[in-house]
Amino acid sequence: MSSLFADHILSWMIAVPFIGMVALMFLRERSWVLYTALGTTLINAALAFYLWMSFDLIENGQQFVERVEWMPTFGIQYAVGVDGISLLLVLLTAFLPPLCILSSWESITTRLKAFMMLILLVEGAMLVVFTALDAFLFFMMWEVTMIPMYFMIVLWGGPNRVAAGLKYVIYSLTGSLLLLMGILGLSLQAGTFDIQALSQFSYSPNSEFWIFIALFLGFAIKLPMLPFHTWLPDAHSEAPTAGSVLLAGVLLKMGGYGLIRFCLPIFPEMAHSFAPFVLWLSVAGILYGGYMALAQTDLKRLVAYSSVSHMGFVTLGIFSFNNEGVEGAILQMVTHGLTTGAMFLIVGQLYDRTHSRSIADYGGLQQRMPRFVAILSLFAVASFGLPTTSNFIGEFLILVGVSYQNFAFVVFAMGGIVLGAAYMLWMLQRVAFGEPRTEAARKLTDLDFREMLTVTPLAIAIIAIGVYPGPLLEAMDSSVTFVVERLAEV
Amino acid sequence: MEALELAMSIYTLIPLLPLAAALTLTLFGERLQGKGHRIVIPAVAASFLVSVLAFINVSANGAIEVQLYRFLDVGQFKVDLGFFIDQLTVLILLLVTGVSTIVQVYSSRYMTGDRRHSRFFALTALFTAAMTLLVMSSNLLLTFIFWEVMGICSYLLISHYAERLPAARAATKVFLVNSVADVGLGIGVILTYLTFGTLDIPEILNLAKAGGEYSTQSITLLTLCLFCGAIGKSAQMPAHVWLPFAMEAPTPVSALIHAATMVNAGPFLLVRLSPIIVLSPTAMMVIAAVGATTAVFAALVSLTQTDVKRTLAYSTISQLGFMTLLCGVGAFVAAIFHLIAHGFFKAFLFLSTGDILADTHRHLEEEDNTKLPATKSLFIGAFILSVVPPLIIFSGPYRYLWLSQDFTEANVVLWIVSLGTIFVTAMYLFRSITTVFRRGPPGAIDGTATVTPKLFSGRQVLGMIILATAMVAVLVAVWRWFAGFLSPAVGGIPSRETVEFSIWILIPLAVALAGWTIAYIRHTRPRSLETPVWKKRLYVFFLNKGYFDEVYDVFLVGSTINFANWMWRKIDQSIIDRFVGSIASATLSVARRLGVLDSAVDSRVMTLGSGTISAALWLGKFGDTAGISKPVEELGRGVDASRRAARKYEPHTLQHNILVIVFWLIIALGFFYWITV
Repeated sequence: MSSLFADHILSWMIAVPFIGMVALMFLRERSWVLYTALGTTLINAALAFYLWMSFDLIENGQQFVERVEWMPTFGIQYAVGVDGISLLLVLLTAFLPPLCILSSWESITTRLKAFMMLILLVEGAMLVVFTALDAFLFFMMWEVTMIPMYFMIVLWGGPNRVAAGLKYVIYSLTGSLLLLMGILGLSLQAGTFDIQALSQFSYSPNSEFWIFIALFLGFAIKLPMLPFHTWLPDAHSEAPTAGSVLLAGVLLKMGGYGLIRFCLPIFPEMAHSFAPFVLWLSVAGILYGGYMALAQTDLKRLVAYSSVSHMGFVTLGIFSFNNEGVEGAILQMVTHGLTTGAMFLIVGQLYDRTHSRSIADYGGLQQRMPRFVAILSLFAVASFGLPTTSNFIGEFLILVGVSYQNFAFVVFAMGGIVLGAAYMLWMLQRVAFGEPRTEAARKLTDLDFREMLTVTPLAIAIIAIGVYPGPLLEAMDSSVTFVVERLAEV
Repeated sequence: MEALELAMSIYTLIPLLPLAAALTLTLFGERLQGKGHRIVIPAVAASFLVSVLAFINVSANGAIEVQLYRFLDVGQFKVDLGFFIDQLTVLILLLVTGVSTIVQVYSSRYMTGDRRHSRFFALTALFTAAMTLLVMSSNLLLTFIFWEVMGICSYLLISHYAERLPAARAATKVFLVNSVADVGLGIGVILTYLTFGTLDIPEILNLAKAGGEYSTQSITLLTLCLFCGAIGKSAQMPAHVWLPFAMEAPTPVSALIHAATMVNAGPFLLVRLSPIIVLSPTAMMVIAAVGATTAVFAALVSLTQTDVKRTLAYSTISQLGFMTLLCGVGAFVAAIFHLIAHGFFKAFLFLSTGDILADTHRHLEEEDNTKLPATKSLFIGAFILSVVPPLIIFSGPYRYLWLSQDFTEANVVLWIVSLGTIFVTAMYLFRSITTVFRRGPPGAIDGTATVTPKLFSGRQVLGMIILATAMVAVLVAVWRWFAGFLSPAVGGIPSRETVEFSIWILIPLAVALAGWTIAYIRHTRPRSLETPVWKKRLYVFFLNKGYFDEVYDVFLVGSTINFANWMWRKIDQSIIDRFVGSIASATLSVARRLGVLDSAVDSRVMTLGSGTISAALWLGKFGDTAGISKPVEELGRGVDASRRAARKYEPHTLQHNILVIVFWLIIALGFFYWITV
């Protein structure tokens, strides 16, 4: 019987959120709903931890693989497995939802059950995206993640939620369409949907170009890269706290993951010829996102634009095609998930109290909320990559990686870090220091036990990774080496 | 063997003890409110004792290396976390932990009753730990890491009085000036890695000493980048503006910043990497020039300031300029000697000022300060401070810098600038002390109300002379030992043969004495109202600190924020967003025109949908009806709302919309055409 568990651990992880959803349907009591949802996500977090512990660090291929024929006529399978790259993202996906649920404990007052179901749905779908070995399965779940996000924004969002939701859907659908064209293009030629088989097939040069473009744009919109980023600030700022956390923490990572999983191994030559363009665009994104964040007066929009800047680092690392860069990029995805998720959580806790996201409405919070300010400061400095916090490791590795390519990128990217320090500290100055600017800000209460419980795991994780990043880097090392060697063959 | 390993691991206690104290206070700060010093003082004092142990060990056995764990191992990039404790490190460690202990003891009284007592002590402990880690680290990346950690510590300490908006602004400014400079340091670290293939400090130093095949150009570039970081942390021009703002912190923090941590990191880094720096004469010249400019400019500014704390801040900048100048001319041993001497005396000065400030609140000119006991000690400190740099710079060991084979125009300029700075230093120190000593309110400018202080009674003059002689003797004695001890740890010119002092020592002493005398005469003589215009202009220029702050505010900070706002409104919202909006509206309006067809489909879907819902309702009898139908209803409402929002998008003509659609169709068709070819 033990094999039923140990051999199918991935399927269990995927199934648990869906089982939780079904269970939620039959519950009516508010506290029952909350505890069931929390329990479900905690079980998954435990399973993810078990997965990490039993992961073989030496092996560079897929592990815990499960394959079941699904639509044999088209060669579509239910196939899942993890390697070092997806392992980290699976861990992140399992780590954040419990915190999301804790953060919505009191703030979601209406339609609680539906909200919890949507969170579980996103978690389940994300796990499939990060573990899928079949392109069709990947695409299908990629689409599935979009729908719950849309409803979270539209039903529980801020005052401008409907327009933001619409924008999100338009962008996402465009990206999905391109992705669909790309994946269909791949499988029409190769005759299979299996991702590993796709990467071994050699495509005709013309189609290679167009498919690469389609896939790249699909991922770039999700990530988002520079000219496709305007959906992100709207969606992030209008979504409820848990939605923002999931969106910034996990959903954006699908783009970076897709680049590493599809674009690099399937089209090494194309990736090489596009690299200069992508690298310059990334640097532009880093600086542009930084400048945009500097201009914001809305807390959540500020954090959202900082995400644009951080995602620039991710593409910068991925397209430097060496271990340092790619591992830095993956670590940056994970740590961005932690720090930006943390920022949204803590800003959400402030929003719960006053229902205002405007920086100008606060000030002097240090007086009434010392605990809050301590945590906010930690997350803010972590977000601009202060050494000894997790983001620094990723960013520095990316800089080292890209310095082998062209040193100019390092100089520009460093400028982005200074901008990061500027907007974060300026925000901190206006929110936490001085005298309160409004009556509401004068009467705030400090974080209670539940809220501390929500942010403490993130704070610990951020410091721990910053001081001892070894285990995470070790876990992905051999898988990344595998990808990088494939790129070096060209 | 085991005893050796134990002895090595003991040195990890030097940073670990303050770090543990900081952590304890962070976690249990609320329960320990008001008792923080009881944890921090023993921790820092113990770490001082371990430093003494390290000092004894190093002077007996030479440098110690301690490996802790592998920090990063990615591709070719490997970083080991470990300590490298040599002669340079132990000296700075003694200074840091020693001064820090004194400052903590002092703060335990100074901070009594403060609202953020625990926070203060946790941060000063962390500050100390970061500085010790910085000087001990055996890897340049870790040096960079703790360099930044110190930055954030200073940020948090400067914003200690969080209610005061100026304090918060000062904190932000200090951190940002530093982080701009740290870009240089970061780039320098990566350049070092690319040049030497490693970031391990002992290894780099060996490579540099062996003098391999490194192009002077790349060495110059990386040295200047690293120096950029030192400019920031050590408040050299043009990044010197932050140090006066750091005065917003409680006074003990100023003592810590000026004497033990933070600013000393710059000269430390230059001396630590001296074997690399000496490879590039260009970089050395730049370093010397920056140091000399800073020294003389800050001394002049210091002469005009009315606030004692600000005078002291600019005097620190000036002294750091001296240290940088010394590094630039290759006198690394003297730079560290000056650093340590300055550290102890500056801490002393600050702590004496802190006592006065606690009573009188900053602007000393308005108070009668004669009765304050601390002023005497303040005077002694100031005196020593003005004597130390000339002794080192112009005395025997380095006379060849100015006289013998290296005699160039540049050196003459540096020589004159240094002498001038010594002169001004003597003057401003005298001036700030007499301000403190002033008896009675300043009253009218014509001098009638100003009472000449009885500073120089006969006994005091005698005391001064004895003190000065003793000081020179002590310095000469200490120097001989010091140069011999430190020289193995630095690159460049070995100073063992040149430890002897010579008659040249008298020149700078004479200059300093002249400064004191002129200041004294000016002080006792009544001031006249008639001053030439150029003098007034000069005075105002230096009083306003050369307008550096204003220029930065307008041209750097203001323009950056304006640029950011402009980009957001014009590019992000007007161009990118509107483009996407037009595509969206095009798609939607065409969809609406197709709606006729749609509605036919719609009715069928509706039938299907209602069938499903009734089936669901039937199912719901087994479970919870509301559980299914309610979310469905909500989702429906959401769709409805989005349809209403969609109606808002219709600013374009049909032609425009069709064009956009055709554009999309061409892309899609082209795509499928190409993949089938």
